[in-house]
Amino acid sequence: MKFVYVAFAMLLVVGACSEKKKLPILGNRAAVERLIDGKLQIDTLYATVADFSLSNQDGKTITQETVKGKIYIADFFFASCPTICPIMKKQMIRVFEKYKGDTGILFLSHTIDPEHDTIALLKDYATRLGSDGTQWMFLTGEREQIYELAEKGYYATAMPDSLEPGGYVHSGGFILVDGQRRVRGIYNGTDEKEVDQLMLDMDLLKNEQ
Amino acid sequence: MRSLTFLCLLFLFSCSDSELVDLKNISHGAELYKNYCSNCHQMDGSGLAQLIPPLYQSDYLTENAGALPCIIKNGLKGKIRVGSNSYTLAMPAVRNLSRDDVKDICVYVLQKFPKTPIVIADSVLKNTHKNCP
Repeated sequence: MKFVYVAFAMLLVVGACSEKKKLPILGNRAAVERLIDGKLQIDTLYATVADFSLSNQDGKTITQETVKGKIYIADFFFASCPTICPIMKKQMIRVFEKYKGDTGILFLSHTIDPEHDTIALLKDYATRLGSDGTQWMFLTGEREQIYELAEKGYYATAMPDSLEPGGYVHSGGFILVDGQRRVRGIYNGTDEKEVDQLMLDMDLLKNEQ
Repeated sequence: MRSLTFLCLLFLFSCSDSELVDLKNISHGAELYKNYCSNCHQMDGSGLAQLIPPLYQSDYLTENAGALPCIIKNGLKGKIRVGSNSYTLAMPAVRNLSRDDVKDICVYVLQKFPKTPIVIADSVLKNTHKNCP
């Protein structure tokens, strides 16, 4: 009997360890009742990024189907931004270079100034940053949709602000999303150390999937 | 020992007298560079990929050193060539800077980034700033 207790305790310890290595799932969650095999069971419903339909720098439509089953990093920027964007992009290049060619990982940079950042401009911007155009994409679309996606989907702020240099205020976050469109981490894209952490967490998430 | 102190003092005064290199202004320039320039051009002057041109060892900077006060004051539009790359993104004008601020940024940038530091007298930099197109 004692042996069983010891074994149970060991299992607990092992369980706790592996639990720690998993990234949290951010956002609200709800308990739902589901009928599984004829039995009523309680299931957890996690917040996910809503469906979307945007255009990339080549004019190709990008939707939730594009990111299905893939880990991706989302961020928000505008091309004429004189403040934090260039710093974020310098860091994003670092992450992109590390995972270049990894078909399980995508990068989605959303413009928050779709009137100014046309598809042609985004194409030039992407090329100049060294993006390949398929793994790291630059997205535009309806202003309302982008702003709602930023706030409700990715917990990022993005809004026009005439007092801000460049005319917009937005968060400098890199948002890590898993293959089920659940946000697993938000990192300050202007901070080299946090971006290092993002890359460690991406490796964790890769092992999880 | 006394003569050494005297020499040091002489050295210090010769600097401020000649108006060319003033360490205090350089550190002020460095602070301003950090606040107004480094977001885009980065602290190390490396720029950003092929989007934002580097200042570090930039031939464009060396060739246009005299125009630097006006580039900071008015921004820069149109295509420029730096090394073997061309850049098209417009540089915004840096607002809210006094003539002395711009002068201090110039002194810092021209000391720090060119292959060989470029020295332009403070009065020339300020006069250029005053007469920008």
